[in-house]
Amino acid sequence: MSADTPQQTSRSEASPPVLRAEGIVTGYGDHEVIHDVDIQSHEGITCLFGPNGSGKSTLLKTLNGIVPIWEGTITYGDVDLSNATPDEIVREGIATVPQGGGVFGTLTVEENLRVGGFTVSEQDAYRRRREEVLDAFPALEDKLGDRASSLSGGQQMMVSLGRAMMTGADTFLLDEPSAGLSPALVEDAFELVERLVDRGARVILIEQNVTAALRLADHVNILVAGELAFDGSPAELSDEEELMEVYLGL
Amino acid sequence: MVSTELLSQSIINGLLLGGIYVTVGVGFALVFGVLEIIDFAVGEYVMLGAFTGAIVAPMVGGEGLLVVPLAFVAFFLVGVVIQPFIHHVTTGDRPMPLLMGLVFTFGLATFMRGSILTIFGPNTRNVPTNALSGGIEIGGLGTFPEVRVVTAVVGVLSLVAFMYYLYRTTGGTAIRAIAEDRDIARLMGVNINRYQSIAYGVYAGLTATGGVFIGLIYSAGPGMGLQYTAFAFFMIVLAGLGYLPGIIISGIVLGLAQSLTAVYLGGELVFFVLFGMIYVLLLVRPEGLLGKGEVA
Repeated sequence: MSADTPQQTSRSEASPPVLRAEGIVTGYGDHEVIHDVDIQSHEGITCLFGPNGSGKSTLLKTLNGIVPIWEGTITYGDVDLSNATPDEIVREGIATVPQGGGVFGTLTVEENLRVGGFTVSEQDAYRRRREEVLDAFPALEDKLGDRASSLSGGQQMMVSLGRAMMTGADTFLLDEPSAGLSPALVEDAFELVERLVDRGARVILIEQNVTAALRLADHVNILVAGELAFDGSPAELSDEEELMEVYLGL
Repeated sequence: MVSTELLSQSIINGLLLGGIYVTVGVGFALVFGVLEIIDFAVGEYVMLGAFTGAIVAPMVGGEGLLVVPLAFVAFFLVGVVIQPFIHHVTTGDRPMPLLMGLVFTFGLATFMRGSILTIFGPNTRNVPTNALSGGIEIGGLGTFPEVRVVTAVVGVLSLVAFMYYLYRTTGGTAIRAIAEDRDIARLMGVNINRYQSIAYGVYAGLTATGGVFIGLIYSAGPGMGLQYTAFAFFMIVLAGLGYLPGIIISGIVLGLAQSLTAVYLGGELVFFVLFGMIYVLLLVRPEGLLGKGEVA
């Protein structure tokens, strides 16, 4: 989809389409990691929890096109993304914030935003999105000419989220945004995530910091050994004492 | 007693040579960063560029300079055609992609050298020029061949244009992003296949263009490529692997080292000195003299 078409504008005013993955099977080489998993983006924040090695990041990478699926389907609204490449998925309105932010450290903040806005061909649309990002993260205004690697962890997370916003996405896949941040900055990172939701976005969030993430969650999935062990609301999860204790350590 | 005049002339000659070496080194560093390969064929693109000058110049009025834009465009296209094969052997489930790239480009280099040897024989050929047959006086330090001066100037201008593209345009920024982390660049919507093709095409075009100029200064021979492959390795190791701005300095250091060694120690010791420098550097500063572990 081209940048800032009328269709996309109306989408951001209404609720974003549902990103739905059904019957996903995938892995690396001959090793199957994800076994017949269904997941979808709900209103607000959908948290994806699970122990280390359960396949959370792999599942996220199937949604953004980095890891191809072996079986199953992925759709975004009416659009079939089962065999789409990462750049096609971005153009449909799904952006990823990699683990730890993944800023381009040798590029300046401005250049990071420019890469985020790579799919935007119109100058006016590009400027509008840039203004929106600086409006959401005003602390970046004075850092635009600085190398991203020179910023603090929290500022780098702003760059990463801002860069994802520049794509024009309305669904965001976040892989442990708090990773590598000091405890004092973790709450800041979650507040930044909430700002995306306040702007109408849907978020699928992988997070090891379960306690903090649960406070934000509108829906929860738990992945265990590549299989979906729970799919429900945070309230429903609170009834699953064994899951909470064994897999989430709560 | 060292003659001041001879020293000055050697330094200027070294700077002039460095200007053209930079065009070879910068492309080599770019493909290392963007495609994550060490391209053993780099010297053979220089050789092919020089041969293109030698073969085509007589068809365009005996003027090698006219071949320069033609060589860039032709080898840009060659690079765009070859890049998908490199991509194919260095991605997917293949183990040790860096080694696969090395093997593939080594084969490519052998094929290029063998083809030229088979078609044109082992003799060297001149790249003719009428426009650059005179000399230019530089600051009272002596008269230098026009071909060397113009070659260095065009080399620097090519480099400036290339760096402008890399550092001032969206496409160039995307290429630098790919060089830093190709997966994250893909997640930002960058079509990395397209930009890897462009990067390899620009590299092949720039390197072959450098080859035309080197042919104008020296001559074209089927066995000349290996020397320039060694020079390219020298430059990127000195600069710090893949660190593009460092290539400018390392290209000039290469030109100076070659010129001064040839004048004061003898031409046969050039490689001994250059690789002696590299061995010492790798021992004391393996990240390169100028690099900081960066790729763009």
